[in-house]
Amino acid sequence: MLKRYLLPGAAAVLLSACNGIFGDIYDDPAGEPDTGYGFVIESENSMPGTIYIDATDYRDWVYLNFGAASAVTLDVDAPAPERWDMAVHRYDVKTNGGAVLQTEVSDFGEVALLPGAAFTPDVWTTGTIVTDMSGMMDGNLEYAGSFYNPVLSQWLDVDKSTMPPVYTLSGRVYVLRLSSGDYAAVKLVNYMDASAVKGFMTIQYVYPYLP
Amino acid sequence: MRKTILCLLCAAGPLSAGAQASDSDLEARLDSLEKQWEIELNTLVVTGTRTPKMLKNSPILTRVISENDIRKTDATNISDLLQTELPGIEFSYSMNQQVSLNMQGFGGNSVLFLVDGERLAGETLDNVDYNRLNLNNVGRIEIVKGGASSLYGSNAVGGVVNIISRDDMQPWHVNVNARYGAHNEQRYGLTAAFNAGRVSSSTTAQYNHIDSYDMKHSGDYNRFYGGYNVNIRERLTVRATDRLKLIARAGYYFRQRNAQESSRDRYRDFSGGVRGIYTFSEADNLELSYGFDQYDKSDYLTLTSSDVRKYSNVQNSGRAIYNHTFAGKHILTLGGDVMRDYLRTYQFTDGGHRSQTTADGFAQFDMNFTDMFNIIAGARYDYFSEAGMKHLSSRLSMMYKLGKVALRGSYSGGFRAPTLKEMYMDFDMAGIFMIYGNPDLKPETSHNFQLSAEYTRRLLNFNVGAFCNLVDDRITTAWSQALNGQLYTNIDRVNIAGVDANLSWRLACGAGVRLSYMYTHEHVRKGQPYVSSTRPHTATARFDYSRKWKNYGLSVALNGRFLSRATVDEYTSLTDYAETERVTYPAYTMWRLNMTHSVWRGINITMAVDNLFNYVPKYYYNNSPTTNGTTFSMGVSVDIDEFFNKRK
Repeated sequence: MLKRYLLPGAAAVLLSACNGIFGDIYDDPAGEPDTGYGFVIESENSMPGTIYIDATDYRDWVYLNFGAASAVTLDVDAPAPERWDMAVHRYDVKTNGGAVLQTEVSDFGEVALLPGAAFTPDVWTTGTIVTDMSGMMDGNLEYAGSFYNPVLSQWLDVDKSTMPPVYTLSGRVYVLRLSSGDYAAVKLVNYMDASAVKGFMTIQYVYPYLP
Repeated sequence: MRKTILCLLCAAGPLSAGAQASDSDLEARLDSLEKQWEIELNTLVVTGTRTPKMLKNSPILTRVISENDIRKTDATNISDLLQTELPGIEFSYSMNQQVSLNMQGFGGNSVLFLVDGERLAGETLDNVDYNRLNLNNVGRIEIVKGGASSLYGSNAVGGVVNIISRDDMQPWHVNVNARYGAHNEQRYGLTAAFNAGRVSSSTTAQYNHIDSYDMKHSGDYNRFYGGYNVNIRERLTVRATDRLKLIARAGYYFRQRNAQESSRDRYRDFSGGVRGIYTFSEADNLELSYGFDQYDKSDYLTLTSSDVRKYSNVQNSGRAIYNHTFAGKHILTLGGDVMRDYLRTYQFTDGGHRSQTTADGFAQFDMNFTDMFNIIAGARYDYFSEAGMKHLSSRLSMMYKLGKVALRGSYSGGFRAPTLKEMYMDFDMAGIFMIYGNPDLKPETSHNFQLSAEYTRRLLNFNVGAFCNLVDDRITTAWSQALNGQLYTNIDRVNIAGVDANLSWRLACGAGVRLSYMYTHEHVRKGQPYVSSTRPHTATARFDYSRKWKNYGLSVALNGRFLSRATVDEYTSLTDYAETERVTYPAYTMWRLNMTHSVWRGINITMAVDNLFNYVPKYYYNNSPTTNGTTFSMGVSVDIDEFFNKRK
């Protein structure tokens, strides 16, 4: 009995314990379904839709085109594509000549635009779009001059007053008025991937949005 | 004369209840206190020698924090307690509000923390998880300062802190306790123990919770991250025969810290072990043990309800210790350990893992020539497979008693092997810089010299000591131009020296005082920046009074600590060490008043005022106390078995 069961059993427990026990109480990010990047099309005209993008690189803008359901990643110094509606760099956002309104609600179905609501257009900045973090500890960040939308960029608050920063999602729906006069509604629902790496943005959207 | 002094002392004291008592009452109380004092001096300590040895006879100066001391501080965890009891110890924050220790100039990775003699897996920014070390059912804590690698190997560079569980001798014992304080701080504890024939068991559980809250002013941190933790431990002892004792233990620990809304920091530990002690004769015994400790860290992502592990340190260790007593008084200890250390971390390339095996052998001879003269000599040889590193540590400690004075002198070696993290880290620090490990690191070593004199007379104990540590090849990170990142590296010698003095005095009326002071100085070469963060002057004080009546007991304790300001040089650049700026961290003092009422049969009610003088930092440096001012707490502790005990 001792030789047949207990000793092999004890040996098995000890060997398996060498690299740890209870590993299955955790979720395995490698086991998450791979949805790929870009517009996640689950079914035609299913709204809100989902966009999942890799915005981890400080040197990239990810350009989104709602009509074509396309996402294109380009260097910050590269010219923008011919057609795009909004673009994401890390947590910063810019629009293609559009303007944005922050609503008070988190549900797309509850958005009610008041007549005369003020939409905020992009502004030019030379001190917001960080392209190189490596000099941060010495106070030497590198920036790219760019337009960005200060209202839509509030979808994620990054409080850098302490290290590491504190990240807080606004959870709000933002209405985007495109230069064409059409509307889209967007909401940032996550800024991390399954392994908790920051800069992977999950955006919900409704397009066209009819106010 | 004796009576006169006692009465004068009591009449002069602020709490002079005893002053009206009769002379015979005072005599009786004094005798009782002297007996209690004698018991404390006869406390058996194990940390300095790994064999039980009376505190007063140990040439290795050991500071004991007793169960009674723990009760008087009302501390929840080890950091609260050590700061309250000992000067020269400071727990502050490092990056991301992680707790970091400085003990007489040594950081958390140079002070070895043990629970019942077993080391702990896991670290964060070079410190073990101090929250694991709660004080529920702790019998005593032993602190040995200075190097102790001749017995304990790596990490025992600056000292050893050994937390020893309480041994319940009663047939059964059940204690439940709860405490509520500011910021919704809640603490609940349970201890259940029994002794039945050859079997005894002790089960402890503790739950702590505290809310996050904003600090009153800005600073290096401006919000305290709250959370909760759970700690459950079981210890089962079977005296299988008169010669064989078997002890099995198991533990589970969980902590969650609420630093971010969308992710919670989670820490878990699973531990277990078996130990067998076989006594061949009065002169010989052999101890064999196996221990397992796994410390995990994970991110609980609230947006996706997923719990993703990012770190796991698993330590499996085996140990053998044989003791032989020569001529009834000289003890030879021979022992050895084997440990497999496994580490998987997000700080390795692609979250990979590494492991290594360490092995050691040690010998110690405890020579008790007379009651007056004692020498301990020891050596240990350690081997680390991954670095192919070998190291020999040694110790020589002596004690000579001259009347009521005990003189102690000691040399001890300490070392710290480079960890797997320090050898193989490959970590991108949020795109800001890389941190690289260094497989070519040498071990950090220390030579520690201590001298002390202890005077004990009746209810008075006074000791003074001086120490000097020569630390070589300390391991830290420094900017590497070649790699354009931080690289773990060895640095030049650091010399740390200091003096300390402790006074403990009890009065027959039930009052007592304990005062401790320490001066610590880190020596740097002329012209070099003083980059130490150690405060030069620190002191602790306790004034207490306790008295029992027939159906009521009162215990009042005022605990204070003083930390002097520290003026240090800090590099102005991460990548260039050409310039420094001088920074002064302010001094502060913190006081806590506890009052415990023993109202009926094992029911104790404790009320505490923390930060009595309402100290609020103007700027919250990482080494400022986490306080917004005076707070109150209240707790109750019930020994249920006392309900059934017959009153004398």
